[in-house]
Amino acid sequence: MKLEVGYIPIRDIQFGPTSKVDGNVLYVNQDELSRLLLQDEAIESVALDIARPGESVRITPVKDVIEPRVKVHGGGGIFPGWCAKVDTVGSGRTNVLKGAAVVTAGKIVGFQEGIIDMSGEGARYTPFSTLNNLVLVVEPKQGLAQHAYEKTLRLAGLKAAEYLGKLAADIEAEEVHTYETLSLLEGVRAYPDLPRVGYVLMLQSQGLLHDTYVYGVDAKQIIPTLISPTELMDGAIISGNCVSACDKNTTYHHLNNPVVQDLFAEHGKTLNFVGVIITNENVFLADKMRSSDRTAELCGYLSLDGAIISQEGFGNPDTDLIMNCRKIEAKGIKTVIITDEYAGQDGASQSLADADEAADAVVTGGNANEVIHLPAMERIIGSIDAVDHIAGGWSGSLNEDGTITAELQVITGATNELGFNTLSAR
Amino acid sequence: MKQIKVVHYLNQFFAQIGGEEKADIPPESKSGPVGPGMAFKGAFGDAAEIVATVACGDSYFNENPDVALAAILDMIASFEPDIVVCGPAFNAGRYGVACGAVATGVREKLNIPAITGMYVENPGVDLYKQSVHIVSTKDNAAGMRDAVALMVPLALKLARGEEIGTSAEEGYIPMGIRKNFFDKKRGSRRAVDMLLKKMAGEPYETEFPMPDFDRVVPNPAVKDVSKAKIALVTSGGIVPKGNPDRIESSSASKYGKYDLEGIRDLDAQTYETAHGGYDPVYANEDADRVLPVDILREFEKEGKIGSLSRYFYSTVGNGTAVASAKKYARAIGEELVADGVDAVILTST
Amino acid sequence: MIITNNPAVTAAYEQMKNVRYVEGSYRDVLVEVRNLVHIGHELVTHPLMGSLKPNETPYRSVVVSDEPVQGCHTEAILIIEESIAVFDRFARTARPDRGAHASEIAKRDFREIDLSLLKSALDA
Repeated sequence: MKLEVGYIPIRDIQFGPTSKVDGNVLYVNQDELSRLLLQDEAIESVALDIARPGESVRITPVKDVIEPRVKVHGGGGIFPGWCAKVDTVGSGRTNVLKGAAVVTAGKIVGFQEGIIDMSGEGARYTPFSTLNNLVLVVEPKQGLAQHAYEKTLRLAGLKAAEYLGKLAADIEAEEVHTYETLSLLEGVRAYPDLPRVGYVLMLQSQGLLHDTYVYGVDAKQIIPTLISPTELMDGAIISGNCVSACDKNTTYHHLNNPVVQDLFAEHGKTLNFVGVIITNENVFLADKMRSSDRTAELCGYLSLDGAIISQEGFGNPDTDLIMNCRKIEAKGIKTVIITDEYAGQDGASQSLADADEAADAVVTGGNANEVIHLPAMERIIGSIDAVDHIAGGWSGSLNEDGTITAELQVITGATNELGFNTLSAR
Repeated sequence: MKQIKVVHYLNQFFAQIGGEEKADIPPESKSGPVGPGMAFKGAFGDAAEIVATVACGDSYFNENPDVALAAILDMIASFEPDIVVCGPAFNAGRYGVACGAVATGVREKLNIPAITGMYVENPGVDLYKQSVHIVSTKDNAAGMRDAVALMVPLALKLARGEEIGTSAEEGYIPMGIRKNFFDKKRGSRRAVDMLLKKMAGEPYETEFPMPDFDRVVPNPAVKDVSKAKIALVTSGGIVPKGNPDRIESSSASKYGKYDLEGIRDLDAQTYETAHGGYDPVYANEDADRVLPVDILREFEKEGKIGSLSRYFYSTVGNGTAVASAKKYARAIGEELVADGVDAVILTST
Repeated sequence: MIITNNPAVTAAYEQMKNVRYVEGSYRDVLVEVRNLVHIGHELVTHPLMGSLKPNETPYRSVVVSDEPVQGCHTEAILIIEESIAVFDRFARTARPDRGAHASEIAKRDFREIDLSLLKSALDA
C-alpha cells in the first residue's frame, strides 16, 4: 500500500464568515460548524473556542484530540466506519492541516479527562500546546446516559475534524511524505538483508470510556490481525478512550503514530518495516491468553527479527504487555516495549503492575505520579473544577490563585506510551 | 576552602575493640580515625579530617536499634561533622543494617549528609538504598581500598553540597528512585534505536531495569503425595520455646534443626518465634500458623501424605544475607536428601 | 461468580448470576478473590481492570469461576497477589477526596464505570 501525505501548515486559527484556509491561517465559520454538529439531537448546545500556542489558556476536561485530514484520492474516506463508509483506506493521497487540531471537551464523568495548557510549565508536557486548537465544548441533553454522551462527543469531534479537513482538499501541500508498505513477498525480495521488524500496537479495550475502534469495530471484538501502517494515517483507528489523560492515545496520536513514523524513517535503510499487528487489552483473562498467543503467532509467521510493542493504560494492560513480550521473545524475536510508569510521587515505588525478565529493553514515557506545578492561566476553556476530580488531582490541588498542584497524570498526552514525547525517566 | 569535618562509624571489629565476643558493646566514641579510618584519612588528604570515630557492637545495635541509634546520633552530633561516613560493611549483614540505619538517621534526624558502602547483596542495601547513598563494594575487606576510592570523592561532594551524578558515574548502588527528564529524542525513536542495537547483538541500555528475578525452575510435581515423605523448613523463625540455639531476630547467622518425634501440635508453651520482622503475637500463640505441624500430622493420619519428616529446619529470614541463605539451604538440602525426603514445604511470613 | 463491593453491580446481576457481595473496601474485594483463587477458583477477569487507579475508585468487581477447578493456578495466583501488592503501593499516596472519601457524585460515577466495565466483559 502506498500513501502520499501532503502537509498544509497552519500557523493561526480564526473565526470568520467563511470556513477556509488562506495562506497558513485556518478560518472557521462558527455558525456553520455549530449547526452541523447540532444535527445530533443528543446535543443541547455546543460552544466553539480557539486556543493558540503561547496563549495563557487552559483547556479542561479534554476528551479527545483529532487532526483535520481529508482523502484527496485513493479510495475510502477519513475515519472509515464513522464519517466515511468502511472502504479500506491507506492508499492514494491524503492532505493534512498540520499544526491544527480539534479538541473535544465535556464533562462525561468528573474525572479521567485531562488538561492542556497552552503556555507555562504545563505546556512542556503536552504536544497539543504547540497546535492551533479548535475546542468544542459540548453540553448533552438533560439526562443523557454516560455512554451515549461519550459516543456523541466522539462523533462531534470526528465530524468537526472532517469538516475542517475538507478545507485542505484542493490546497497545494507544502511538503509531501510518501509511505509504502510492500507485500510480504515484494518486501523479502527488495530487502533480503535487512532485519525484519514489526510493530505490535496494543489498543485499549476495556469498556465504557476505555475503548478504541478499528474501521468502526470495537477493539474488544477483534482478534489480533495485520493492518497496514498507512491505514492508521487515514483514521482507521480512532479513540474512545478518555481514561488517564497522560497515557491514553488520542485519535491525533493514532493518526500520527510515532512508532510508525520512525520505523518508516529507517525502512529500506537499516530495517524492513514489515507491518503492524493490532491487538487488544481485554478484561477477560482468556481473551488475554488468546490475544497474546495469536500476536506471537503472527510475529512468527511474518518471520520477524524484531518487534516494537506499545501499550495503552496501566494495570490490566501491563499484564497484556508482558504476555506479548514474553511470548514473542520465546519465538526468538527481539522486542522493545514502550510503557509509562506509576512510581509514586517520590518515584520510589515499583513502576509497573507486571514484570518479567524477558522485558529487558524498555522505553519509558515517564513517571505519571511526579508532582508538577502549573501557573494560573488567564482563560479557561471548559470547566476548571473538574481538575480536582481528574486522576492525579486531589482536593485542594486547584489553588485560590488559579495555580494547580497535581500529578503529571492530569496532563493530556504527558506520558504517552507510543513514544510520542521526549519525556523519559531513570 | 574550609576543611571538612568527618565522623566515621564502625562496628566493634573494625574499630579494633574486639571480635564476635565484643559484638554486644554499646556505642562509644573516640577522637580521630581508627582502623580503616586511616585509609580514609590518607584519601581525604587536606580536604577533610576525621575528627572522631563512633563504634557500636553489631549485636547490640541489632537487638536495641532505637536506643543504640539515639545514642549514636547524640555522639555524632556532639562533634558537629559536615559529613558522616559509615563502614564500609562489605557483606556483613548486621553491620550493613547498622551502617544503613546510622547513615539514614544522620540524614533525616541531624540533617547532615551521610554515606555508607556495602556489597550489593548485603541486607542493608534493600532496606536503605532509597534513603542514603550506598557505595557498591566487594564482598569482603580485601575491597577496602576500592571502597575508599569511591566513598571519599562522593563524601566530599555531599559535604560541599555539589551535584551528585548518576549511580553509574559515582559508584553508588542505584537508589531505585525514578525521576523524569526530557531526552533529546522522542520515545519511539529511542525504541527504534534500541531495537536495532538489540537485534545486532550490540550493547544497549534499557530505560527501566526490571526488578531482580531470582527465578528457580520448579522440580517436576511429586507423583504420589499420599506416599511422599514431607519435610518442613521455615524462614519464619519458629524455634523451641526459649530459642535454645539463640537464632538472631535478624541477620541470622545460623539455622536450627529440631526433632518433631511424638509431637502432633505446636503450642504457646513449647514453641515460639525468634523472627524480629513481624508481630510475633499470633505465631507465639500457636506456632502451627507458621509451621503447620498439626495439619501435616492430620494428613499423615488420614493417609493424605506418606509421612512428616522427623526434623524441621528453621532460621530467621529477616535481613538475612542472600549468601547466608544459600549456604544454609545447601547444608539443609543435603540432610533432606540423606533422610529420603521427597518434598519440602517452605514457609516464610 | 462476581465478587464485588459495588451495589450497582449487585443490583444489576444478582438475579442472573452468582454474586458475592463484599461489605468493605476495594482491597477487601481483592482479598476475597485471593482467598477463592487459593482454594482453586479460576480468575476470569483481571482484578485491576480499568484505568482508574486503586486509590481513586472505592469500587471493584472481579469475576471468578463459580466452583473451584482442578489444576495448577500459578498464573492466577500471581496475578491476584500482584494486584494486591499494586493496591498497597498506590494506597501509600493519600487521596483525601478519593476512594472511600469521594463525593457522592464522584462515587456514583465510579459505580457506573465499574459496572460498565464489568458489563462489557460479561455481555461480550
